[in-house]
Amino acid sequence: MADVTYREALRLALDEELGRDEDVFLMGEEIGRFEGSYKVTAGLWQKYGANRVRETPISEEGFVGAGIGAAMMGLRPVIEIMTINFILVAMDQVINHAAKIRYMFGGKVGVPLVIRTPGGAGAQLTAQHSQSLEAWFAGCPGLKVVAPATPADAYGMLKTAIRDDDPVLFCENLVLYNLTGSLPENGDGLVPLGRAAIAREGTDLTLVAHSYTVQRALRVADRLSQDGISVEVVDLRSLRPLDVDTVAESVRKTNRVLVAEEGWSTYGVGAELAARLQRVCFDDLDAPVERVGQAEVPMPYAKPLELAALPLESKIEAAARSLLAECGL
Amino acid sequence: MPRLSDTMEQGTIGRWLKREGESFHEGDVIAEIETDKATMDFQAYEDGTMLRILVGDGESAALGAPIAIIGAEGEEVPADAPAAASTNGDGGRDNGAAEPEPAAEPEAKDEVPVATATEAAPADGGGLRASPIARRMADAGGLDLRTLAGKGTGPDGRIVKADVERALAGGVKPVPAAPDAPHAAPSPPSEGDEVRELTPMLKAVARRMAEAKATVPHFYVSSEIDMTRALELRAELNAALADSGEKVSVNDLIVRASAQALVQHPQAHRSYVDGHHVYHAHVHVGIAVALDDGLIVPVLRDADTKGVRQLAVETRDLVERARDGKLRQTEIEGGTFTVSNMGMFDVAAFSAIINPPESTILAVSSTVERAVVRDGAVVPRKIMSVTLSCDHRACSGADGARLLQTIKRHLEAPTLLLA
Repeated sequence: MADVTYREALRLALDEELGRDEDVFLMGEEIGRFEGSYKVTAGLWQKYGANRVRETPISEEGFVGAGIGAAMMGLRPVIEIMTINFILVAMDQVINHAAKIRYMFGGKVGVPLVIRTPGGAGAQLTAQHSQSLEAWFAGCPGLKVVAPATPADAYGMLKTAIRDDDPVLFCENLVLYNLTGSLPENGDGLVPLGRAAIAREGTDLTLVAHSYTVQRALRVADRLSQDGISVEVVDLRSLRPLDVDTVAESVRKTNRVLVAEEGWSTYGVGAELAARLQRVCFDDLDAPVERVGQAEVPMPYAKPLELAALPLESKIEAAARSLLAECGL
Repeated sequence: MPRLSDTMEQGTIGRWLKREGESFHEGDVIAEIETDKATMDFQAYEDGTMLRILVGDGESAALGAPIAIIGAEGEEVPADAPAAASTNGDGGRDNGAAEPEPAAEPEAKDEVPVATATEAAPADGGGLRASPIARRMADAGGLDLRTLAGKGTGPDGRIVKADVERALAGGVKPVPAAPDAPHAAPSPPSEGDEVRELTPMLKAVARRMAEAKATVPHFYVSSEIDMTRALELRAELNAALADSGEKVSVNDLIVRASAQALVQHPQAHRSYVDGHHVYHAHVHVGIAVALDDGLIVPVLRDADTKGVRQLAVETRDLVERARDGKLRQTEIEGGTFTVSNMGMFDVAAFSAIINPPESTILAVSSTVERAVVRDGAVVPRKIMSVTLSCDHRACSGADGARLLQTIKRHLEAPTLLLA
């Protein structure tokens, strides 16, 4: 198959799942006639009709709640939240209901719901519209949280998420939508949740990332390789369940680890990995676990300040070099 | 950590089969433990409930170290119990398995020494600043970290992996007492080389073979065996057994011949142990089985009492389970003789290292069709080259030669194998 964009990979997954299972339906703001703010649902309203591609008012708490109810009754809703920033008004539904219901009803009823939502920064959308909040949700038992970084994973993990019997927060990224890549030629293309992938093999340093930061990490690995430094890039793909085993296996090989993420480092993905790795890889480490994230400020509007706040490749590279310098490399 | 093999000094948890909160009955397998030789099932000694796992999957612990706390269902882990040695790496997954007694944990952590799975040896630079991997590599390489004091290149003089690599490459003298490193300083890895930890089995093989070659005075006796008739016999047997699915291999015939010969030559069937000769009452023949990366020697017990069919059936079972890592400890110990057969690899000749406390091992090479002289005429015969390695403390050259002669006689007149 020819290369497709991340956006098209998502659209294809939705189209195929809508076609495969009558219980699957979409819900969100402007996802029908307008085809979604980022065109992920292009053509689906025309193909499946307004019953299965449902437009909603600007009322996240209401339509996430409606999705939870539909899921409890056996349907498989896929809800689009325009960006992850807007999920905050539906927080009670996500955390207090979707994540809790299977537990509070003794396992008798689950919530097979997918919430798709993009995050990310870099387009001067300023403090309220530039956030990467996935780590908050990854700290909540009862939710699965995934953040694919390639078109193939976007396609395969969205299909798996829709077929999952529990709520999945499916984190996309605004910058990734135009990334192109190939989809698998054979098989169903399903990608399991909860498994990290080695995006690039290396021996000197393990660089862990998720979502768009994986693409940054790969470019950093390219640059460092020109200086003879071999970086292994681990794409987490899922934040909850978190595949510590794959990261640990890599760290046992490289003895050094840097975690990069677009969200804030404090209480972030890197914080969680550092805690897990210092336990399972203590005797393998040649230096403390290092992390790079967004500056600890609300995202500024001014372009120079926005660039200064983002965990750009230059910052990841500098952190990698500094960590390796501590180890005499 | 239970002692599941005579030579193990530590064990590695392959995986836990009972998770925290799960109950079990006496005899249930609750974990798989990798010893230096095999992966063994660890059975519960009594009924109970898994309260807390201290040594997680893939982690190691010394003999006798606590690996888990069991008790009655709902019982609280006492505050003075050993604290968790490790997390198992997936504590945050949505598997719904809650820890039974979270409240007891914080006190326990503060008040008792933590039973870590891999404690750094304090003698290797207790007060030194060194990264954990640097400590571990120094330990494994027999390097006394104190020799690097003040020479670390990390922050504030921390000794890092690169410092240890340089020191080991420079041939720093090994610490004499390091038990796992009786060999010379390792040569430095070159650019692009990959350095890997040995599995417990490979460690055991390395240690035992180095010991054997260094302490057992080997001598070697070689011969050529005409296998023409043995191969005819085998073909005849297999044709007759075709319906049963049984199959007799050349190796089974060699094991049979060896077992018969060992009974006849007690001086080649004894071990030298602490200044004494131990004459073996039973013939237990080990067969070396190559694994993807490693080797193991399952033992055919009382091989002299078994016919070739039974030897074939038992061998096939042992080899299959050896490759699956499913041999029991009792199946890989107690050998009194070993057959190492590399016939399938087109080998002209080789000599094997004795597997102590055994005193002999037979190295079997490939059978090839050759022109030989029989009764003044040149005829084609199927010839197999063999070499017997002997421990000179246990047997003389003549003892070894006689044993080999009998093995040869039985294979060349193979109806004796059926006697």
